[in-house]
Amino acid sequence: MAKSIAVLLDDKRIGAVKGSDLEGKIEQMFGGQLSCFIVEMDDAKAKQVMDAFDTARVDSRGFITDVPIAFNRVIFEEIARTKSLGAEAVDGVLARVDEIQKAAAKEKEFLPCPEF
Amino acid sequence: MSILIERPPPHGGRLEERVVHDPELGRKLIKGCPTFDIKATLDDSGTPVRNVYREIMSICYGFFSPVDGSMHKAEVDRILKERRLLNDWVFPYPLVFDISEEDLKNLGVGVGDRVCLKLKGKPFAILDIDEIWRIDNPEEFATKVFGTPEANPEVVQEPFDKKMPGWVIYKSLNRVVLAGKFRIINEPTLLPPFDKFWFPPVKSRQEYDRRGWRTVINHQTRNVPHIGHEFLMKDAGYTGDMEPCHGIQVNAIIGVKRPGDYPDEAIIEGHAAVNEGGYIKPERHIVTFTLWDMRYGNPLESMLHGIIRQNMGCTHHMFGRDHAAVGEYYEMFATQTLWSKGIPSYGFPASINDVPYGLQIRPQNMKEFWYCPVCNEIAYSECCGHTKEKQKFSGSFVRGMVAEGLFPPKVIFRPEVYKVIVKWWKEFGYPFCNAKYVKEKEKRLEVDLPDM
Ligand SMILES: [Zn+2]
Repeated sequence: MAKSIAVLLDDKRIGAVKGSDLEGKIEQMFGGQLSCFIVEMDDAKAKQVMDAFDTARVDSRGFITDVPIAFNRVIFEEIARTKSLGAEAVDGVLARVDEIQKAAAKEKEFLPCPEF
Repeated sequence: MSILIERPPPHGGRLEERVVHDPELGRKLIKGCPTFDIKATLDDSGTPVRNVYREIMSICYGFFSPVDGSMHKAEVDRILKERRLLNDWVFPYPLVFDISEEDLKNLGVGVGDRVCLKLKGKPFAILDIDEIWRIDNPEEFATKVFGTPEANPEVVQEPFDKKMPGWVIYKSLNRVVLAGKFRIINEPTLLPPFDKFWFPPVKSRQEYDRRGWRTVINHQTRNVPHIGHEFLMKDAGYTGDMEPCHGIQVNAIIGVKRPGDYPDEAIIEGHAAVNEGGYIKPERHIVTFTLWDMRYGNPLESMLHGIIRQNMGCTHHMFGRDHAAVGEYYEMFATQTLWSKGIPSYGFPASINDVPYGLQIRPQNMKEFWYCPVCNEIAYSECCGHTKEKQKFSGSFVRGMVAEGLFPPKVIFRPEVYKVIVKWWKEFGYPFCNAKYVKEKEKRLEVDLPDM
């Protein structure tokens, strides 16, 4: 079974893909109160993701969860760069595993607090 | 026949109150006794996993009535065999004051002696020793506390190991147990933000009287409440007798938590934000806590939860699936099984409401809540038929959104509640418990002690 990852979108991220084809692929959750992209990958790629990040797990709906925060940031950057919600974006992420792991190590001690 | 449900008596018949309020008497009681500085229980990596001071507080203020001290060997043996105290009342866990052989030698005490226990460098409590016994093998002891798949096939699915916080606590105990009664001789001051929410059983019963509450349903928490929790509380609150429950009580467990749980400060203030925001109005809702380093023992933990909240005066208690659970050690509905038909291998051939010397608080076994885009509401799983469209409040999903710093939509967190998370995130540099938080908390604890 293919696996998916939900990439949550706030206003800033939605702004970054405005005008592109990606805009039409935004999915709505919780009655339209939350937006996201759904990235899909085959089992081989999913296994690479699971192997690279030891906290990652697959939930009952086949979604990969509990990845580092840096993973979510990078996957959004790769979606925006490749204009894809498929293999290209996932390959972009897998090419940056070292960078994500370095950032993830710091996440155990510190996460920047949002300002509203 | 009366269909009105009355407040249950305390577990064991009367509330333990083992706190000396008169400082003069306190000074007299410790005159000339040897002193011992309370230390945290540490795991193999040196991280605090428990502080026995929390147990002393919960015993002496009556949350764990009828337990009155550090347990004798015979009592611990009986608990491990049939989950009962020597006076027959049901109780899930051994509670012991443990020290190392070296500390025992330095203390130089024996049976009949009194020890003054110090906390944060100040006198806190006394322990009158009437037995000294030893835990032969802490790892075996820890396994006996929770059970095994072979001995408890109804509910235990996997052997307990170092990923189970309660097992680690018991495995990390010192071998020497000083058994005997505790008394707090120097009344601690609860620190903010906890001070406002401190309702030991005597006080909580008075508070229910003051509010005119006959029926009260308790919500167990170790979490900042998202909307799913809020609807669980509101809907379970319709339980009662001829009226919905008069009061909805939140009782948070405050103590060492797992990495990834929210800090205690955010948990307690997050729940308060639900009533301050008017989502469950303050007249109907009370936020309280108990000091306890969670053992995550699912059905056993639920028994302790029942005891605490019955002692506080609650008539009802909500239990969900995976109650106080971690990992897959226990079967998902183990707690609900204990309260519906019993778990014979733990000593209960029937519900713990229906065994002699059992509990009188009534369980409200709940399934789950989700968001349904078709019903366009937060729906109860046993009402909503849109199982394909449902969107669950998965804990890891919600935590992921928080960690990314995205402002959650109102359908997930009330803005007032989310602001509490951010407030403590600023304070600790992190939205969840991590090793740094646990160590800092161990220094600060939840109380200060006056000079004597
Ligand atoms: Zn529905």
